Amino acid sequence: MDMNSRNKNRGLFSIFSIVVALLVIFFIGSAIAAIIIKGLPCFAEAVTSEEIRFACGLSFTTATISTVIVTLLALPTAYALTRTNMPFKRLSGVLVELTLSLPYLLLGLSLLIIFSSDFGKALKAYGIKIVFSKAGIVMAQILVNLPYAVVLIRTAFEAVDPRMEFIAGTLGASESRAFLTILLPITESSLISAFILTWSRALGEFGATLMLVGITRMKTETLPGSIYLSISTGNNDTAMATATLMLLISGVTMAAANLLNQHAVNKRRGR
Amino acid sequence: MGRTIEIDHFSVSRGTFELQDISLRVEAGEIFAVLGQTGAGKTVLLESITGLFPGSAGMVRIGGRPVMSIPARERGIGFVYQDYQLFPHMTVARNISYGPRTCHYSKAAARKRTEELLRAFGIEKIRDQYPDTLSGGERQRTAFARALALEPEVLLLDEPFSALDEITKEKLYRELESLHERLAVTILFVTHDRSEARRLADRVGVIREGRLVSVEANTEKAV
Repeated sequence: MDMNSRNKNRGLFSIFSIVVALLVIFFIGSAIAAIIIKGLPCFAEAVTSEEIRFACGLSFTTATISTVIVTLLALPTAYALTRTNMPFKRLSGVLVELTLSLPYLLLGLSLLIIFSSDFGKALKAYGIKIVFSKAGIVMAQILVNLPYAVVLIRTAFEAVDPRMEFIAGTLGASESRAFLTILLPITESSLISAFILTWSRALGEFGATLMLVGITRMKTETLPGSIYLSISTGNNDTAMATATLMLLISGVTMAAANLLNQHAVNKRRGR
Repeated sequence: MGRTIEIDHFSVSRGTFELQDISLRVEAGEIFAVLGQTGAGKTVLLESITGLFPGSAGMVRIGGRPVMSIPARERGIGFVYQDYQLFPHMTVARNISYGPRTCHYSKAAARKRTEELLRAFGIEKIRDQYPDTLSGGERQRTAFARALALEPEVLLLDEPFSALDEITKEKLYRELESLHERLAVTILFVTHDRSEARRLADRVGVIREGRLVSVEANTEKAV
């Protein structure tokens, strides 16, 4: 094949990619546009209502608590899966990823079964109530997001050559010091992104929460729960206004993630 | 003065690869080259001496002391990889001072040691640069300076010259020789380049498919 035909092929492939990308953007964009067009007219009314403010507060609180817990659990798990010779390592990795393909409704049902059992009743006797309570929302978000966060952080850790930590070891660093001074700073940007993405997913979690906690107005009503209640009562405009609010939050979150990432890169570069 | 490295009937398995029954003694202050093709087990040998992989049989002694159950950080070995493995989030100076800072040198002592090494390797000007902005030679000098920061008596080098052009290589050969003269550190390096082994080593061992097949004095070394 001569140079001209090769360049022509490359040009055709670029055009094909751009056409597919435009179709994808149109497809996703039309869904976003539908939400905004339907939601904007009663956006102000919806976001100032007591109900949405409650849902917003509950979603923010539960998403933040669950994301902190998920991150604290996912970091050592991802480290063990990538850097140690833990027993059943491969099987553990598969188990973690297995739940990613399950419907969240089912994950919620499994939690409901666990916490409705004698174990759950024993917890309740000690004052730890999960089913139909706000703690249940956090629990549902943790189960849904933990495998996701482990996979994200594990991928970030796998991208770092473990020989770098070995070199740190020859320079006197213990495993924990090499983790804190080498692995964590190198993966900082990825970890920030993982945290923000996990938080966004927790904010939008619905299926598992519905199964474990149910949705009671002004009690266990998160933002997605509020949308569900609005649609159930035929109030589609309010549902779309709440969805617009969630889009706005998602946009702000992504901007914050970008800023934090940039800050991390600049700090590393000493700028 | 460097320390001896004694490897006694040492074996280690890494997946399907096996380093089998290696016995070798590198004298204190000697430069020893292990020559072998890619995949012969050269790097695994160095990493095992340093403590990355626990051996399945045999013994490794550094300066007469058995080190099999001692972690890498306590073996007193400096290590330089073929691709240097510089810490990308640290400047040249921070890379070099990593060891002294980690080993709780006082701030002043860590700074003094870093300055000494920056000067010794002629890299003062790039002290505030990050590894991704350095040339091959600068990276190599930084890696050597970092490996020597804790004044190890044994230096293990994993094909440290293979990524360099001929002119830089020759310059760095001379620097390594001068470094060896000054510090008398024991150097064990692996290479696939026969002429490099002959240029630098006092003795050359040949490794093939995980076995050390010969050890000979290097009569061709320039005196």
